[in-house]
Amino acid sequence: MFTATGRAARIALVTTTALAGLATAASAQELSGTITVWSWTAPARGVEAAIPGFVALHPGVTIKVEDVGNPAIWDKITTGMAAGGAGLADVLNIGIDYMGNYVETFPGGLANLSTMGADDLAAQFPSGMWASGSGPDGAVYGIPYEVNTSGFFYRKDLFEKAGIDINSIATWDDLIAAGPKLKEATGADLIAMDKAATVADSAGLWQLLTNLQGAFYFNAAGEITMNGPAGVRSLELIKKANDAGVVADIPGGWDNFMMQIKGQTNVAVIPAASWAAGVFESEAPDMAGKWGLRLPPSVEAGGLTAAISGGTYLSVAETSTNKQLAWEFVKYALGTLEGQQAVYEGGGMFPGFKPMLESDGFIKKSAYFDAEVNKFFIDELGQDTPIVNYTTDYARALKAYTDAQTQVLLSGADPKTVLDEAAALVAGQTERTIAK
Amino acid sequence: MTAPNTQPAVRRRWRGSAPRATPYLFLLPVIVLFLAFKVYPYVYAAWLSLTKIQKGKQVFVGLGNYGRLLTDPIFYKALSNTLLILVIQVPLMLGLALLLAVAFNSALLKWRAIWRTAYFVPIVMGLVAYGILFSTLLNNHYGVINFALESIGLPRVPWLGDPFWAKISIIIALTWHYTGNSAVIYLAQLQSVPGELYEAAEIDGASAFQRFWHITLPGLRPAITLTVVLSTIGTLQLFDEPYVLTNGGPNNATLTIGMYLYQNGFKYFDFGYASAIGYVLTGIIGILALIQFRLLREKRA
Repeated sequence: MFTATGRAARIALVTTTALAGLATAASAQELSGTITVWSWTAPARGVEAAIPGFVALHPGVTIKVEDVGNPAIWDKITTGMAAGGAGLADVLNIGIDYMGNYVETFPGGLANLSTMGADDLAAQFPSGMWASGSGPDGAVYGIPYEVNTSGFFYRKDLFEKAGIDINSIATWDDLIAAGPKLKEATGADLIAMDKAATVADSAGLWQLLTNLQGAFYFNAAGEITMNGPAGVRSLELIKKANDAGVVADIPGGWDNFMMQIKGQTNVAVIPAASWAAGVFESEAPDMAGKWGLRLPPSVEAGGLTAAISGGTYLSVAETSTNKQLAWEFVKYALGTLEGQQAVYEGGGMFPGFKPMLESDGFIKKSAYFDAEVNKFFIDELGQDTPIVNYTTDYARALKAYTDAQTQVLLSGADPKTVLDEAAALVAGQTERTIAK
Repeated sequence: MTAPNTQPAVRRRWRGSAPRATPYLFLLPVIVLFLAFKVYPYVYAAWLSLTKIQKGKQVFVGLGNYGRLLTDPIFYKALSNTLLILVIQVPLMLGLALLLAVAFNSALLKWRAIWRTAYFVPIVMGLVAYGILFSTLLNNHYGVINFALESIGLPRVPWLGDPFWAKISIIIALTWHYTGNSAVIYLAQLQSVPGELYEAAEIDGASAFQRFWHITLPGLRPAITLTVVLSTIGTLQLFDEPYVLTNGGPNNATLTIGMYLYQNGFKYFDFGYASAIGYVLTGIIGILALIQFRLLREKRA
């Protein structure tokens, strides 16, 4: 029966359906085509794991992940940026240490994600990590992917054999003092370092110790602080351990790191970042039960026992021809619980997305370490760690520091003297001043 | 000019211009590639070396980067490392290549093709394979060289971890890599030394050393000039070996000018400064090559 109202209702219904159809068609049209992501090894596997879920929501799009390799990826991105963005992938996985430099040296190289709505995600990430992914103008250029805090991995069996209670070690001085006893009882060195630093930078321990004192190479104003009291104290601690004969000289690089975690090089403590927890389990399954995990000791009694030790971001290249798709993919992978879970499952990188950290099952007991691994790292994120200012000159400072450390470890140089020289060198190469 | 003369002139010009344009047409790809990939980068690098990036903008600083070079202790360190390696490695390698070439040329040598190939193979070895090979051989704890040293009662040598030994390692790797190349050049030149000279000298009672000194060496002089200049340029640009073996360390002991240029450009994003280093290196190479050509030419005269 065709009544007037019935017909009107039907027309309205048809119109709505048609409009809805149009809307769907429009949004589907917006998200189409192909984008490429540049990353490396485990983080690349993480990004890859988010693709099926994203494609299910937006059929017809293609996401390609290229494992460019690290550190090759930095040369590749730098070259592309210097060429005005030519040849870059659409989505770039960028380390926190490179972020500020890319944003400042190549303005317009990375897409301003604030204009695409990235600011809505800010509250869901740790503020310090979020700030390092933003430019001086506050615009967002990268969404935090990995957020690393410092892990303190130690060989339970060796400490037990030497009769040292790990819980009695509160400071690094305590730890270094226990070194000779440990070595005598077990033959193991306390810690490994690449003394000549000919393979990698070998500054990880100093950065951790300095971070634990709330300092870094630069202060918040960008002045050089690497030769300040905290920096000198850190290098003095390293020298003390070296002079005590408990530092093994192991070249840097991944293979040598693997030998340490597999117990092939006899080292009792590995202060690696949180991402390493997953690596221990997957690469050295035979060592289950032998490695323990705790918060790092503080430098001064009662000081910080947490440090942010790096992290990475996903950014979109300004030259991407499909920025909308690139951004939507980044938003899905890092800004939704579903995406984050897939990424975490695939790559095991420690996330910074708060809903993920609070989600059910994220903190679970690891049989390998016999501890609730992720709880340590969440605790660290909760501590009042300072914002780490990498500035545009991090690479120079890192190199100058590494050379200073080599002089201390190989020829017993005085920490204060070499750090003063290193700071003067960085000041001479840049327009920065040394903090008073 | 009168009208009747015009037409033949035009025809002549037409006929003449076609063969004149053709050679240039054939040269065009070379010229275009040369302009695009050689001249343009040179000119652009020259411009870059006069600028620096400040707050994301390229600003003109005149000779500022060159002035900074004069007071940069790391640049002097890189320069002295490079020159030290040059002064030791080039004579060592060329002397070795000379001996090899004479040996390869000797009728007494059996399986010559195998020997020649064996010494030439390192040249074609890829950088990465070469880097892995040497870092494995020279590894302090597990390297076969230290294993051999220990098995005959000698102490282990920290090949890559000590400032002195790291330089030695670079020199060894460099010599291994390029000696075959110079040897092949010498060997080719040796074919042009007439055999009668040796026969005559032998009849006159010249010793083997006298024959080498008075016949072989003078005969090789053009090749020696060439290899000295080429090896000097190669060593001044040294980059591969420190890059794959020592990363310029420890404490800049093996930092070369090429490595320092790379660090400034690709690690510190300081393209202006890196370009200035490149131009200073070019200047040094030009001056040294000129001096070498002069010296070796005078000797010949």
